[in-house]
Amino acid sequence: MTFFDPRRAAAVARKEVMHILRDPFTLVLVLGLPVVLVVFFGFAIDFDVKNLRLGVYDRDNTRHSRQVASVFESSGYFLPEGASSPADAARGLDSGRYSAALLIEPGFGRDLGRGAPARVQFIVDGTDNSKAQAVLGYLPGITSAALRKTGAPAAADPVPLATRYMYNPELNSRWFVIPGLAVIIIGLLSILMTALTVAREWENGSMELLLSTPLRPAEIIAGKIAPYVLLVLGGVFFVNLVARLGFGVPFRGSHPLFLSGTLLFALACLSQGIVISVITRQQQLAMQLSMISGLLPSLLLSGFIFPVESMPPFFRYFTMILSPRWFMEAARGITIRGAGAADLALPLLALCGLCALLLAAAFRKFKTDLEP
Amino acid sequence: MNGGPALEARDLTIKFGDFTAVDGVTFSVERGEIFGFLGANGAGKTTTIRTLCGLLVPTRGEARVGGLDFSDGGRGIKGKVGYMSQKFTLYNDLTVGENLDFAAGLRKLDPAYARRRREELFSLIAFDRPLSTMVSSLPGGVKQELSLAAAMLHDPEIVFLDEPTAGVSPASRARFWELIREVTGLGKTVLVTTHYMDEAEQCGRIALMRTGKLIALDSPAGLKSAAFPGPMVELDFGGPAPATALEGLGRAPGLLELSPHGMRWHAAFAGGREMEAALAGLPAGTGRREIPPSLEDVFIRLVEGAER
Repeated sequence: MTFFDPRRAAAVARKEVMHILRDPFTLVLVLGLPVVLVVFFGFAIDFDVKNLRLGVYDRDNTRHSRQVASVFESSGYFLPEGASSPADAARGLDSGRYSAALLIEPGFGRDLGRGAPARVQFIVDGTDNSKAQAVLGYLPGITSAALRKTGAPAAADPVPLATRYMYNPELNSRWFVIPGLAVIIIGLLSILMTALTVAREWENGSMELLLSTPLRPAEIIAGKIAPYVLLVLGGVFFVNLVARLGFGVPFRGSHPLFLSGTLLFALACLSQGIVISVITRQQQLAMQLSMISGLLPSLLLSGFIFPVESMPPFFRYFTMILSPRWFMEAARGITIRGAGAADLALPLLALCGLCALLLAAAFRKFKTDLEP
Repeated sequence: MNGGPALEARDLTIKFGDFTAVDGVTFSVERGEIFGFLGANGAGKTTTIRTLCGLLVPTRGEARVGGLDFSDGGRGIKGKVGYMSQKFTLYNDLTVGENLDFAAGLRKLDPAYARRRREELFSLIAFDRPLSTMVSSLPGGVKQELSLAAAMLHDPEIVFLDEPTAGVSPASRARFWELIREVTGLGKTVLVTTHYMDEAEQCGRIALMRTGKLIALDSPAGLKSAAFPGPMVELDFGGPAPATALEGLGRAPGLLELSPHGMRWHAAFAGGREMEAALAGLPAGTGRREIPPSLEDVFIRLVEGAER
């Protein structure tokens, strides 16, 4: 007695392909939507802060102080505007006219020329902390540029710290966002696809037909997942095409490794969908559950935006059961850093484990439901 | 096959938790028979059929279907039977050909054999539309016939039909029953559940079910003569029946059954003498006509009477 008959699984898969071909909506959803979203978000989500209005109050008004202000302008991040008084600069910050203010007191040029500590005040609007952090991140570069330009002695810094950003020298946030976004979209769609398929059979009553034949749960699950794996791989292909050609996101790692990682991730998500479908048996409920379980954790807890390392311990451990967290790490590692299988052993193994766990859960639940 | 009964159930009991859906049912069905299940909703007809198809395992008791038991979880039985459930189970978004190919794939039928069976079944159900017809575009009766063909593609010995004619037109119902007779003519055994009395009349034997129990099992004629050994009359009072007349009838000795049928009443008696005595007391001008009892009368007497 065999426990799995590939011919029966193939019959289910063939039928599923027919459903997909008959319903172009699914095809468009999986192949088109990720591309559209990546393009959309690729343009909209930009953590690089530019063209910030900077209120400049320069009481010193010497050559040195004007040079400092001009360095801010030439950095490309700031648009300096003259403020008539410190109070005017503060009002500008209050009203949101300025994102930051630069106050230079009299004596700045004199102190600088003497080699004494010369002081400027820099005020940042902290309302939007990601913007504020970006602004503060620009400061060291600007300060050193200003020092060079004013010709002031650089002896103040006994240990010169040379910083270089590896893999993404310009810190282009699209390189970071787009691969991550692809992970989230592909994950959500995968869950959604299979979550509906089994529930649909229950709702239509066609599950009765399947049950009255010698078809086994494992054959149904395999037949239901297989076509969507191919579909999802197609979606990933197009997303990567757009990321590379449209946004110049590099791909530095190995394609086979990325493919295997994608396969594991897709399998894990599709299995999660099957679990949802088997439990709910209703399309409406399955849809809601997959939106919640597929979108929220991956958006917030996968490291897509907020680094996993800086989460509170509970959430840090909780993320370990989320497949997007692991694939996020792997996908970014492979595409941007060119990481190899050995570097990514942990996330890849975790994906394998989650995949096996979800498949087993789907199978167990299905088996107890279907087999009398 | 060894020539034994197509199907046997002994003390078949199926429980869902505390609820007993089928309670100690015993019967056997001969090969080539049309065996009907008649009963109200929730009487246990569908549960019995689903069990005999191998979809449920009996909680207690035994069943042998096509000579096989449940020792393998019903898998062997599934190979020998065809099942058409209450709900329409074909896929509306697939074509006729794709649906049948899928059914054949699930049964691992050889493609050439599946094609031959398809042609045989198409001629049986007189289906002459192209294979590329979308199932969603077929009329209800044709859909049901196609479901039957899909359930019979693997040439099962026994065919289970759970309310096969629910929701189709009267003409399609009649045609479907002709089809059922043709199927048994091919040596198949058919078990069918129905709500319709006229359909039950066409069964070889009928199992009458109530709250999970088998309360009667016989041919339609046998059920009638067992329930109504004496004569039955239809009374027409020419309008609403006078309460006094009904009261008098109700007290008459030997009255077996008195039930309204539209504006008329059916009264059944233990014998001819009792009938004459009771009818003598009715107002003049009351129309009376001796009628053969219908299955509906039997159903009312056996199923609803037991509830009173």
